[in-house]
Order: sequence, then structure tokens, then C-alpha cells
Amino acid sequence: MKALNYLRADTIDSALQYLDEFKQDIRIIAGGTDLVVRLKQDMVKENNILDISRIKELNGIFRENGTIHVLPLTTHTDILESEVIDKYAFILREACATIGSPQIRNRGTLGGNIVNASPAGDSISALFVQTAKLKLKSINGERVVSIEEFFTGPGKTILKPNELLVDIFMPELEENETGFFKKLGQRDALAISVLNVAVKMRRRGAGTNTFDRAVVAFGAVAPTVVRGRRVENAIISSSLDSSKQIHYIARLAFREVSPISDIRASLKYRQDMSINLLYEGLLDLRANDWKRKT
Amino acid sequence: MVQTMDISFALNGKEYKLSVPANAVLLDIIRDKMHLTGTKEGCGRGECGACTILFNGRSVNACLILAPQADGAEIVTVEGADVERKLLSIQKAFVEEGAIQCGFCTPGMIMSSLYLLNKNPNPSISEIREGISGNLCRCTGYVKIIKAVERASKDIGK
Ligand SMILES: Cc1cc2nc3c(=O)[nH]c(=O)nc-3n(C[C@H](O)[C@H](O)[C@H](O)COP(=O)(O)OP(=O)(O)OC[C@H]3O[C@@H](n4cnc5c(N)ncnc54)[C@H](O)[C@@H]3O)c2cc1C
Ligand code: FES
Ligand code: FES
Repeated sequence: MKALNYLRADTIDSALQYLDEFKQDIRIIAGGTDLVVRLKQDMVKENNILDISRIKELNGIFRENGTIHVLPLTTHTDILESEVIDKYAFILREACATIGSPQIRNRGTLGGNIVNASPAGDSISALFVQTAKLKLKSINGERVVSIEEFFTGPGKTILKPNELLVDIFMPELEENETGFFKKLGQRDALAISVLNVAVKMRRRGAGTNTFDRAVVAFGAVAPTVVRGRRVENAIISSSLDSSKQIHYIARLAFREVSPISDIRASLKYRQDMSINLLYEGLLDLRANDWKRKT
Repeated sequence: MVQTMDISFALNGKEYKLSVPANAVLLDIIRDKMHLTGTKEGCGRGECGACTILFNGRSVNACLILAPQADGAEIVTVEGADVERKLLSIQKAFVEEGAIQCGFCTPGMIMSSLYLLNKNPNPSISEIREGISGNLCRCTGYVKIIKAVERASKDIGK
């Protein structure tokens, strides 16, 4: 690892000061599960490393007026252990449960997963369908952006060098909302997504197979996580009565994704599997009277 | 010039003050500075679990923690039976079940098992499998390791 200048901030204000002072030559470290791997591969150009892992104001989960806030230093394990998340953000929970290993989940943070901006970042597709918003703060002020606006390419975001991600928040899932996160990896544990899919749907009423809202997102099938709008429209405009109908809808996934072939899978396999994962997820939900799996 | 940082931490119940290079990882400090070589380096990138330790009560990969980040931390390694009594029962169970072949994965396996049993004293087989899912073993095929964790959970419960 190259020589580094280590800096530590214990408050948001002091972090923003450092970010502003060192502008183009500073990189944040939270859990370090992405950054340390990159540092070891000499893939980090910045020389100043700003440790934010002790900033108490950036850690915690809370509800406020129908919105659930998951602050960026929350680890994947914190998410899995939270009753609030289990109740009101279970799609995010399902996603974080698939990340890495216990050790990685104990150290890796939600903020790090987002800012790392991997198209295969598992929390991201879940945050897409839970319509999360991000609050970015710099010494000059703050702005709120939707999770979809945040990413511009693999590893690329609109975050400015002097900005810190300070809050991640989303509407609480309601009683009549259902959904899932599904991931295909090369094995069960310690596997980066070959692809993943997240779905949230609002049911028109008990006993029906119809939905008046649907959000679908696919991960690892394009340069960023993408929405599946054709699938969403098809879910809203039809009735998911039969497995045949569900398969018809799932097949639209084929048109939403623009995957690449890489070491983990070929283009064709990713296209086929995006259909299959969506089909399987919807079938499982239907078999459970559209209730989330527990 | 490599920047050094003055830090302090509790390692296996004892307080230490030391100076560490800013670009070292905690694993190097534990092995090379503290001379506790039970914790192993396999992959160096979070994939094998040979470097697993408890860091503020949670299992982590010591190869992915920047040394200065350990300032103020409570750290337990496989040598830490003084502070984590369960370690003795787990180590004994690994020996009795023949869960050790070359032994390279063993310290990490034991630390993951400790973390699991601290959280969940009576894990099911599938919970044990999940609990050690961040640890690779090239020798045993895992069956005996899972049996050892099961045995340890029974021994500790007695
Ligand atoms: C073995 C292994 C397995 C993994 N498996 C998975 C997996 O299955 N799924 C998955 O999605 N990921 C996986 N990861 C990736 C990683 O663990 C996660 O992305 C994790 O959530 C990153 O969080 P962190 O706190 O460790 O990030 P860090 O490494 O600390 O930071 C990552 C990036 O985010 C920036 N950053 C962090 N916090 C902020 C903030 N608040 N504001 C601004 N910038 C910030 C950093 O500058 C850095 O660029 C894996 C990693 C390893 C090593
Ligand atoms: S050496 Fe740390 S996980 Fe392999
Ligand atoms: S005993 Fe050899 S790697 Fe596990």
C-alpha cells in the first residue's frame, strides 16, 4: 500500500472542513471493505484518507413522519438486527442479508455500498424500489437527490469531492405493499451479484391479484442499476392471476436490461436469468397470497 | 515518508499504546507488532476469513481495517481466552471432532464460531453454516467443523 496521510473527523462539521480543505486529494473511508481492497491494489489516486467511521451523527436508524432514515454509517448487520427495518423497509433488509459474509456485513456500511456505486451493489436496487432519497452535504450547504439521480456510471456518481453523504431516507412500506429482493450469485456466500432484482408493488385490495403501483429495479445488468418500466406498467395494467400471466410479464425484463459479458456471466445468461429471477420472485409472492416471505 | 499514528487499543483484555504506519492494516499490527500470529493472512481481501477477529464485539476481517482505525477499539484474537471464556470450549471441540487438518483456517473459523455463539448460543445446522460462511477451508469439507461448533454449543450450555 502506498504512503497515506490519515485524517479523522469525529463530527460532520469537521469532516466537511477537511473535505473542503483537501478538495481534489481526499478520499473518505467508512467500513473500508471496498476502499482497503482498492488501496491494496493501488487503485486509489488520493493521498489523504478521511476516516468518518466515528461520526456518531452519521450512525443510526429512526422513523419520522412516515419516513425511515438509515444513516450512512449503519452497517448491513445493524440493518439485519433492526426491527424498524424489518417492518418498514424489508426489501432493503432482504438485500443486505445477501451481502458478502458476516464479517463483511459487520463492517460494511450502507453509505459505502451506495457511494461505491457498483452496478452490482446489492442495497442499491432495493433502495431504488423503496424510492430512497439521499442527502448530500458540503461546507456550502446541502441538497437532496433521489437514489436514481445519484449514479452516472459504474463507480460514478454526482457526489462532488467536497460532499459527504449524510442521510438515506425512504417512505415506510405500508400494509398493502409487498415486494422482494432476489440475487443470483455464483454461490451462496461471498458472491458478488451476477444479477439481482428488486420489486415493490401496492395491492389494490385483499383477495385481488391486481396492483396500482409497481417499482422494479435490476442490478448488474447495465452500467448502473436500472428501473424496469415496461415490467412495472405490465404489472399495473394486468391481473397476476396465473403463472402464465406472470411469466408473460417477467419476459418483458428481457427488454429492460443491457448487460455485458464478463468473468461472472455472459450477456445471454444475464438476460435469461433476469427473466427467471423476476418470474420466480413473483411466483413465490403469489403462492404466499402476496405477503412478503418472512 | 510514511506517516505514523499514535493509537491505543485493548487487545485480549490488555491495554496497549503504540505507533502504527497510516498505511498498514490491523492484521499486520497484530501479527508483526503484537507478535500474535494465531490470526492468519490468506487472501488479504476479505474473502477467506483466515484473519477474522472480534472488533468491538463483532467479527471482522482484520486484513481490511486500516491500522489507525483501530484506535480505541476492543480487539479479541484466537489467543484471547482470558476475555472470551467460550474460546476454550470451541477450541477443544475442534480438536475432539477432528475439525482441523492443515489448520490454516482454524483460528478464523474459531473466531467466527465465537461470534456466532455469543449472538446465538443454540444455533441450528443452517445457522452454523451461515455463521461460518465467511471462512474458507480447503481441507475438511466443513462437515467436521460444523459438528465441532455444534458440540461447542452443547458444551457451553452445560
Ligand atoms: C469479500 C467481499 C465481499 C463483498 N460482497 C458484497 C456483496 O455481496 N454485495 C455488495 O453489494 N457489496 C459487497 N462488497 C462490497 C462492500 O463490502 C460493500 O459495498 C460495503 O457496503 C461498503 O461499505 P464500507 O463502509 O466498507 O465502504 P468503504 O470501503 O469505507 O467506502 C466505499 C466508498 O464509499 C465512499 N464513502 C463511504 N461512506 C461515504 C459517505 N458517507 N459519504 C461519501 N462517501 C462515502 C468511500 O470514499 C469509498 O469510495 C463486498 C466486499 C468484499 C471485500
Ligand atoms: S486474509 Fe482477511 S479475509 Fe482473507
Ligand atoms: S484445515 Fe486446512 S484450510 Fe481448513
